[in-house]
Amino acid sequence: MNTPAFKKETFRDDYTFRNSPEAIRRFPFPFAEDEYMYSVNIEQHVSTNPGSVFEHAIDIDEHYIAECEDRRLTLERDPTRYIALPHMMDAQWDMVELIMESLSADYPQWFELTKNGDQWHWVNKPLEIDQTFTFGDTSTLPMEPFEYISRQVQGDWIIMDHRDDDLFADMGMVTSQADWSIAFDAGMSFKEWHGPVPQANEIGIFDRALKYLLHLQYGSPVRRLNWTMTVNPRLDTSPEEFPLWGPDNASVTPENVGEKVHLRVELQALFRLPRSNAIAFSVRGYLISLDELVTYPKWAKRLRRVLTNLHPDLSEYKGLDLYRQTVIDWLEPLEDGAELSLGTQPE
Amino acid sequence: MQRGYWIRSKPLYDSLVWQTPAVAHLVIAGGEGGIAVLKLFQQMYPKDPIQVLYTDLATANKNYSDILQQIVPEELELCDSEESLLNNLEQRLKDCTMGTHFYVAGSEAFMWHVLQKTRAAGVQDVDVQKELCGTLARPVYCVHCKTITRDVHHNVFPCSNCGRHLFVRDHFSRRLGAYMGVMVDAEEPGNIPQIEEVYP
Amino acid sequence: MSILNVRVAEIEQVTDVVKHFTLVEENGRPLPRFSGGSHVVVSMNINGRIHRNPYSLMGSPENTDSYHISVRRQEKSRGGSVFMHDGVKVGSELQITYPVNLFSLSKLGKKHILVAGGIGITPFMSQIADLNRLGDDYEMHYAFRSAEHGAFVEQLKQMCGDRLHLHIESEGQRINFQNLLSNQPLGTHIYVCGPEPMVNALLLTAKDLGWPKTHVHSEQFLAPPIGESFMVQLAKSNMEIEVPGDMSMLEAMEEAGLEPDFLCRGGACGRCEVEVLECDGALMHNDHYLSDAEKASGNKIMPCVSRARCQKLLLNI
Repeated sequence: MNTPAFKKETFRDDYTFRNSPEAIRRFPFPFAEDEYMYSVNIEQHVSTNPGSVFEHAIDIDEHYIAECEDRRLTLERDPTRYIALPHMMDAQWDMVELIMESLSADYPQWFELTKNGDQWHWVNKPLEIDQTFTFGDTSTLPMEPFEYISRQVQGDWIIMDHRDDDLFADMGMVTSQADWSIAFDAGMSFKEWHGPVPQANEIGIFDRALKYLLHLQYGSPVRRLNWTMTVNPRLDTSPEEFPLWGPDNASVTPENVGEKVHLRVELQALFRLPRSNAIAFSVRGYLISLDELVTYPKWAKRLRRVLTNLHPDLSEYKGLDLYRQTVIDWLEPLEDGAELSLGTQPE
Repeated sequence: MQRGYWIRSKPLYDSLVWQTPAVAHLVIAGGEGGIAVLKLFQQMYPKDPIQVLYTDLATANKNYSDILQQIVPEELELCDSEESLLNNLEQRLKDCTMGTHFYVAGSEAFMWHVLQKTRAAGVQDVDVQKELCGTLARPVYCVHCKTITRDVHHNVFPCSNCGRHLFVRDHFSRRLGAYMGVMVDAEEPGNIPQIEEVYP
Repeated sequence: MSILNVRVAEIEQVTDVVKHFTLVEENGRPLPRFSGGSHVVVSMNINGRIHRNPYSLMGSPENTDSYHISVRRQEKSRGGSVFMHDGVKVGSELQITYPVNLFSLSKLGKKHILVAGGIGITPFMSQIADLNRLGDDYEMHYAFRSAEHGAFVEQLKQMCGDRLHLHIESEGQRINFQNLLSNQPLGTHIYVCGPEPMVNALLLTAKDLGWPKTHVHSEQFLAPPIGESFMVQLAKSNMEIEVPGDMSMLEAMEEAGLEPDFLCRGGACGRCEVEVLECDGALMHNDHYLSDAEKASGNKIMPCVSRARCQKLLLNI
């Protein structure tokens, strides 16, 4: 992958976030067909397509520094976006290991990890961090191990404890979520946590997904894509801050839709953790404005078709009702009715 | 509400039934939960030791201390407030052993306060029998200011701490013992739907 | 499924029927970290036929230089354990799966009671290492036939100190489950691994004393039973295979070149579950995974341990 220059940009207030042409090209467009159904669509999280967001276990892109800074701001306003129930300490260290090993192996130009037994030395050049600590000894880090490392990585992380043939969301760093709250959902079982998703329980999706995840093996992570839409490139669309971003949903007009409305795709990856036997669920969000997205006509046409066919329950659940039609209308002139190739590739 | 709809994160509440075999039974009730205790004692009850903890509640339409005192043939402790009941429970849990069965009855807010105590003692929520009595009032957690308003009867209500008008989302946290409340007029300030009593 | 290539670095005769194998990565690299109670599945090539048996990892999970497994010689079985005893030497190369944990400690437990019978001690060895590291409260109860059958007793004494309770049957020391399970504080979890009658007796006592199921954990990997041969039709692969008497359906499918999913190969985890499309005789369910109702419905089967007695069996695989 080409070394991106890390961008200085914001995800709030003046919203200076933009994608470079390279970031648009590698955007994980989620719709392989003209119709969208809620499904599990899980595949092995193995390295595919050099340069794509699937190349590495944890993707670092041009927005890395800005996203870490946005997380810092969110935590400063509201520390409850991070939670770790007391029985999750082994999982905290598992996460330190997973993130440090993965980043240092995949991006040696930015991250370095040196181990001498339990003495670890971690260097994060983009964030200018240089830390020596004793693995397993919390007192040698400036904060809890999982909070420490999850402040240095993009995307949200939810760590699920595996017990009684179920998975419990007992730990998380969640600052860029699509309208759910880890402070509220912490401790929930898999199905309680997914309770609000419409159209899914009825078709048995969560039973099958849970059974699949209970059998997830260390060394064989899996992934899927999920999506929603957001007005303004805002990472923190939490229920906590709904009073801040809620009014934006009513601000979309035919004139500003291309700039304001963003497709938000979540690359969700699941890793079994070795010490704790817990499962790490990473939800990495990618934002793209409609103006950026329509630089590829195939994506423009396909998005219009998906939104037109979307089940009303899912539209409501994803919070699209106030502006979905405006988006469809704005995309209309780009529609020529042509049959589109299957698959998510831009052309 | 549509057919086939339910709150998937919400536990099912049932009628209390003695669970056997067991080594002991601990029954905890508040306010209108007293009726569930009376119903329990109309069933053939087990030979193992039974303890009942009960408190009248000011918010309840009917309280049962007097009648429980006459009718419950086993060890009964009447507490004078929910707080003293919870303290009493915490002490008793230290002496309970594995094989003790737990029963709780009352409003949703009361039950989940009790369950926070039993959970801290190592009892899993699923292993406690629960009966909802007297009211459908919901404890609601304000996701904005993080306070819980107890006994909410309306679809939309002002948060007892920050005053925002909250819509009660159909999502329940057992850890917090509350439903999620989210500001109802955030998208269009001042646009508050008609307020109705939906949890009498 | 991720596979590790390992070499046997050391073999120790622990008792007259138990051997302890030390496995290292073929190129000397560290092996994956794991959690207490995990197992690996070892592949053995016995006269051209691949046998796969699950064995608990019994070393400390913190030691990634080597894995440790112990094998009890089972004369009346299909040959895997005999091969491990007679055919595997220091220097032998084996393939194993990544560790999988189907017998983990409950992290909510305030106290843990571990109960082992005979070779059932193995999964507890790694759990004890975790409990010691975390400083958790536990008791280890270990029952075996006679002093010479008490594998790893010295090691356990060192690891557990006075938390270890030995029950030597030849000296009349049977575990009294009634006493063990009475008067335990709230939040206690119990774990049992050993011969089936012992496991069943403990589960029954726990039930009689009102223990909730969520606090009672057992691990029983069954060896695939030997039976009569039968034919299976595989709908998706469009083929018909014979399952010989000394082979499981899962093994017969693998022999035929298929790669069905599996984790425990002992009827415990449910990973290899297959849908039964048609059966004109009787399914012989031997697993612990399917509920009685599921077994009765005849729609599913666990090919790792279950068999059939019929003319026609059609599976959706």
